Amino acid sequence: MDLIIENISQFFQYTGFANGDWKYLIMILIGLLLIYLAIKKDWEPMLLIPIGFGIIMGNIPLFPGLSVGVYEEGSVLNILYYGVQKGFYPPLIFLGIGAMTDFSSLISNPKLLLIGAAAQFGIFGAYMISLALGFSPAEAGAIGIIGGADGPTAIFLSSRLAPDLMGAIAVSAYSYMALVPVIQPPIMKLLTTKKERLIRMKPPRPVSPTEKKIFPIIGFLLTAFIVPSGIPLLGMLFFGNLLKESGVTRRLAETARGPLVDIVTILIGLTVGCSTQADKFLQPKSVYIFLIGALSFVIATTMGVLFVKFFNLFLKPGNKINPLIGNAGVSAVPDSARVSNNVGLTYDKTNYLLMHAMGPNVAGVIGSAVAAGLLLGFLS
Amino acid sequence: MKKFRLIWVLASLVCIPSLSAYAQSQGDMRLNEYLIVNTTDFQDDFGQHNGWFELFNTSYGTVDIGGCYISNDPDNLKKYIIPKGDVLTKIKPRQHILFWADNQPFRGTFHVNFTLAESDTIYFVASDGRTILDRIEIRKDLPENKSFGRSTDGDGEWGFMDHTSPSTNNSGTDNASKSSVLKEKDPNGLIMTLTAMAVVFTALILLSLIFKLTGTLAIRKHQKNTDEAMAGADKQNVADVAETSSETYAAIAAALHLYIKESEAHDNESFTITLNHTDRSYSPWSSKIYTLRQTPSVKKNNR
Repeated sequence: MDLIIENISQFFQYTGFANGDWKYLIMILIGLLLIYLAIKKDWEPMLLIPIGFGIIMGNIPLFPGLSVGVYEEGSVLNILYYGVQKGFYPPLIFLGIGAMTDFSSLISNPKLLLIGAAAQFGIFGAYMISLALGFSPAEAGAIGIIGGADGPTAIFLSSRLAPDLMGAIAVSAYSYMALVPVIQPPIMKLLTTKKERLIRMKPPRPVSPTEKKIFPIIGFLLTAFIVPSGIPLLGMLFFGNLLKESGVTRRLAETARGPLVDIVTILIGLTVGCSTQADKFLQPKSVYIFLIGALSFVIATTMGVLFVKFFNLFLKPGNKINPLIGNAGVSAVPDSARVSNNVGLTYDKTNYLLMHAMGPNVAGVIGSAVAAGLLLGFLS
Repeated sequence: MKKFRLIWVLASLVCIPSLSAYAQSQGDMRLNEYLIVNTTDFQDDFGQHNGWFELFNTSYGTVDIGGCYISNDPDNLKKYIIPKGDVLTKIKPRQHILFWADNQPFRGTFHVNFTLAESDTIYFVASDGRTILDRIEIRKDLPENKSFGRSTDGDGEWGFMDHTSPSTNNSGTDNASKSSVLKEKDPNGLIMTLTAMAVVFTALILLSLIFKLTGTLAIRKHQKNTDEAMAGADKQNVADVAETSSETYAAIAAALHLYIKESEAHDNESFTITLNHTDRSYSPWSSKIYTLRQTPSVKKNNR
């Protein structure tokens, strides 16, 4: 009888109940909340469901040493997490993004690239705020990249500059990306006049296949020569686009934008979620990261819209840009472009801004990858 | 043939630089520091004070020096072979490895079979046994327990070292990280922000200008092609009109007239569309009962 009791008692020591803590419970609730938001509100479900479930998986209290946890060397989750730690998942996602992105709107109107550049103020504004709050420059750089509104870039950079903060940064970046339709419209309305919101932009000119083929090659050469530390992201982005536009690698392009990006999205979402173990995640720094993340989105949107207004001062009346596409400079493809379109339609039901907004939107992806390369070069 | 020649030229261009490269970049290893007379300095694993010299991996990849040679004799570059298969001979990026010049090679991989006191030059030789990857002349005037080394690991000028630094940085202290330097020089991040935004804008402005240019060229080319096509079409039309006889036109017109008349087609549309409900009567051709496979019946054998 004693032996049975001893066995049961020993077994109990291995259970999650014996090793549990209120912190784990909070994290599990956060995971459940993300899953709820993804299913019920349809907020970035492709990302929030893997991350949400990953948070639950990573916060089951464990008896240490069983080689099960994400931080225990050799465990299955640890092996899958290797792609996040070593930063090879994000470039693979960029490969898929490149293979699914049509840069035509940008090629037809290259000045829209500058809006993508202006929105990167969000990254560096957040960097300055983080420094003021006492984070080290490397940590501040990793937090700042949330303002790029680009999940893979945020994971890539934080895995290099501040691995301890990566979980909080990734969850924050994806959460605010999902909240783009909530965060951006009030700022856009606040900073624009009714007259500006009604500006009709010239329809984009047709882009020849040759121009589309040249774009990824020149784009890569130019940006990579200026910021070589961005090669993993920029190289994969433009390579993916070349696969799409070359016209002779259809199968490779389909794999890159289909099964490959799906597999990596599952792995990155799940393992990033798992990495948010309560003892590492629930700390005052995480609260600051979430606050700074929100501010970075506000700064990026504000600067994007204000830059268009400033730019319009130098453009002829027929060539003016609708400032409602300024918000699309934060990458968050294609959500922020969709926000531009929807807000535009509320003021003029026939003024479709989607195609115009896609220009700064994809420029934002390039801009945030360049900014990430810069931060990596300066701070690593 | 032309294509084959091009492939051949490209392959040659790729191969030529690789001929001078060595497996896993052994050429990235550099002699970095040495000490001849050791009485009170660093001790080896056997508690002995002996002369030593240091190699440094200048690259950002692991280099396996197993199979390379170390010598003090220009006529016998293969004097000491660094044993293969020892994990310790895989030198990590930007790391040092120390060799004891005690003439006691049986003490381990990193004990060579000569001393520095009897040497004029140390040679680090590639695994082919012929190519000297690095060499350093030994200064006989080196005081006891004083070392001679590069001012910066793997790169700087050779000189007397203030302190010996076996297996560690010659510059004395670790370089401060970029992050800590930035924290000191740019505490509020303003300089970083301005610099980085200038670079981001420069990159995207350049990209924008290039694509404005390629766009202009593409539009011109498109216009040129269109003009040529139009001119060609006009010329062809003139030639065709000249070549086409009036009988041909009459034959085409007659054929069209007959076709329109016979098919009861008309040129003037009423612009009215009438949708009529059509009752489809039952047909066994569309019945699922006849198109699905029947469930096989089981015959029981009552024998």
